[in-house]
Amino acid sequence: MAQAQAFETDFWKDANLRKMWDDIVPGEPRKTLPYVLTQDAIALYCKSVGETHPLYFDEAYAKITRYGGLIAPPSIHILLMFSCTPADDWMRSPGTVNAGQSWSYNIPARPNDTITLQARALDKFIKRERLFVVHDNVFFNQHGEVICSGRGWTIRPQ
Amino acid sequence: MTTTFENLKAGDAIDGPSFAVSRESIRLFCDASLDYNPLHLDDDYMKGSFGKTHFGGIIMHGMNNFGLISRMITDWAYPAGAIHRRLETRWVKPVKPGVTIQPVGVIKSKQETAKSRWVLIDVLVRNQDGDKVATGEAMVEFP
Repeated sequence: MAQAQAFETDFWKDANLRKMWDDIVPGEPRKTLPYVLTQDAIALYCKSVGETHPLYFDEAYAKITRYGGLIAPPSIHILLMFSCTPADDWMRSPGTVNAGQSWSYNIPARPNDTITLQARALDKFIKRERLFVVHDNVFFNQHGEVICSGRGWTIRPQ
Repeated sequence: MTTTFENLKAGDAIDGPSFAVSRESIRLFCDASLDYNPLHLDDDYMKGSFGKTHFGGIIMHGMNNFGLISRMITDWAYPAGAIHRRLETRWVKPVKPGVTIQPVGVIKSKQETAKSRWVLIDVLVRNQDGDKVATGEAMVEFP
């Protein structure tokens, strides 16, 4: 996949550029990147979780549904989180443990959408000697419409 | 029977897909999600300790659970003309290669608001031994 090749898959590289728990300022916006969501990227994501619904693959079928064309599965934000953030983003720090997430869905992402992300750490705290950061995220399409919004709890590496 | 808001009741179950976790499925999820955290790739790294936690080898992405639960909810909602509106999850237990997991849902309640109708669903993911590996709640909007 062209996008996967362009993406830095060695998360150790640039690790020293990323903010540690101590440096993260709740409320401060994270740097983000626009991302064009391709049908190939949607298909690869679908394959990884066994999604086979024709809404994601069959244009003729999707056209006659309420959606009027192909869409991505709601959980495509799993890909968008990494595709819309740069290599020095602290979400890529090796050892980052995801403790849970919650997401609300407004409208579906579609093939060829240009996706943008507004994101920040919302809170950080220590619990049972673990360093937590709460991050919140909103994904938009090229029309400025909200696709989905979500919050995640991560345990930061020490 | 077609699923409708009217005929759903608390306790009704939703069966999700069985999913065999392997080193290959984890690697595929890395490529699909662009999440190449060494937690999912590097056995040597995972031999170390993470604070109080010791994994002993690579683990599946927690968001793979999320993707399977979401697949279960949409595959259930689409034929009813309903829309998957929210999913909240917590990871309870790490999942390693060789494990088979399966999400399930149980209708918790129904509620009507000024402009819509909602079904609240408790979700969980179990491994082949019946252990919970993830829990959560979903919200689906019905016509």
